[in-house]
Amino acid sequence: MPFTNADYLPSYEELTVPELELTSAALRAGAHHFGKYCDSQCKEFMLCSKEERDPRKCLAEGKEVTRCGFEFFGKVKRNCYQEFTKYFQCIDHSDRQMSLRNCRKTQAVFDKCIKDKLDQDRPELGHFAAVRIHHTDRPKPQPKPHQLPERIVDPPDFSKLPPPKNPYPPTQI
Amino acid sequence: MASKGFKQEMPPPGGYGPIEWAKQVPQKKLSGYAQFGLFIGFTLGAWVVYHFQKNQRRREDLEMRDARLAVTPLVEAERARLFLKQLRENRDEENELMKNVEGWKTGTLWGEPAYYNVRDRFISPSTEEYFAHCKYWEKFYAVHDKLNH
Repeated sequence: MPFTNADYLPSYEELTVPELELTSAALRAGAHHFGKYCDSQCKEFMLCSKEERDPRKCLAEGKEVTRCGFEFFGKVKRNCYQEFTKYFQCIDHSDRQMSLRNCRKTQAVFDKCIKDKLDQDRPELGHFAAVRIHHTDRPKPQPKPHQLPERIVDPPDFSKLPPPKNPYPPTQI
Repeated sequence: MASKGFKQEMPPPGGYGPIEWAKQVPQKKLSGYAQFGLFIGFTLGAWVVYHFQKNQRRREDLEMRDARLAVTPLVEAERARLFLKQLRENRDEENELMKNVEGWKTGTLWGEPAYYNVRDRFISPSTEEYFAHCKYWEKFYAVHDKLNH
């Protein structure tokens, strides 16, 4: 392992948080609204993980994403339980890719419930695939300076030296 | 030798018809203009339908991509935590395993670090290191789990 005892690895207590135990159909059904509800947290976490390239430094952001997921799906469960259940069951039996295109009727009912209860529209097509700008207070990470070895001595100025003697003079015949 | 009931076969009354010796060409059902017109018409219609369906398919693919991208942070956060938990477990396991070996330092080879890491970057361990304390089949199933879906 590349990690010695001196290296920082978070303890089990830091890593153990309640995880969102949802099946893939439910995640896909609520994906668009979840992404819009937790927009800031998701962007912060993804920016952190792409900038730092170190999962140890983005734990707090990741926990915030999971907490926001609990908050959103908890609200859905409290307010739109029937609509959401029908929608994700439809998606579960849609096809192999769990496509959304076969479930427009139940989707419309679910969207209307979200609009009434959570006051949130469905994001327009291509919202998450487009480039989005995120403003954060987290400073941009700077890696430690690289320690280069000492510079080797420069070669002498050859233009001021006399021309070298040819070690292989032309043979006299 | 004639026997009773024998009857000589004779040509039909009026004789046989004339022998058909000329080439038999089937009659054309459509003219050349009509055939070209049908071809061009069907091709243009298919072109229109193809583009309509292509745009529709692209919209549906984009929607599915949206759905996957939206839940990516949620999945990635949980995955990062599991990953770090396993790294911690591996280090604890190595400490426990090599506690009786004199001069062994965890994460190094007899005190020599495994990587030249001056800038203190995070080094993701290789698959063999990550699954070092597992059985071979556990690693195999974990790596090839995607083939089951």
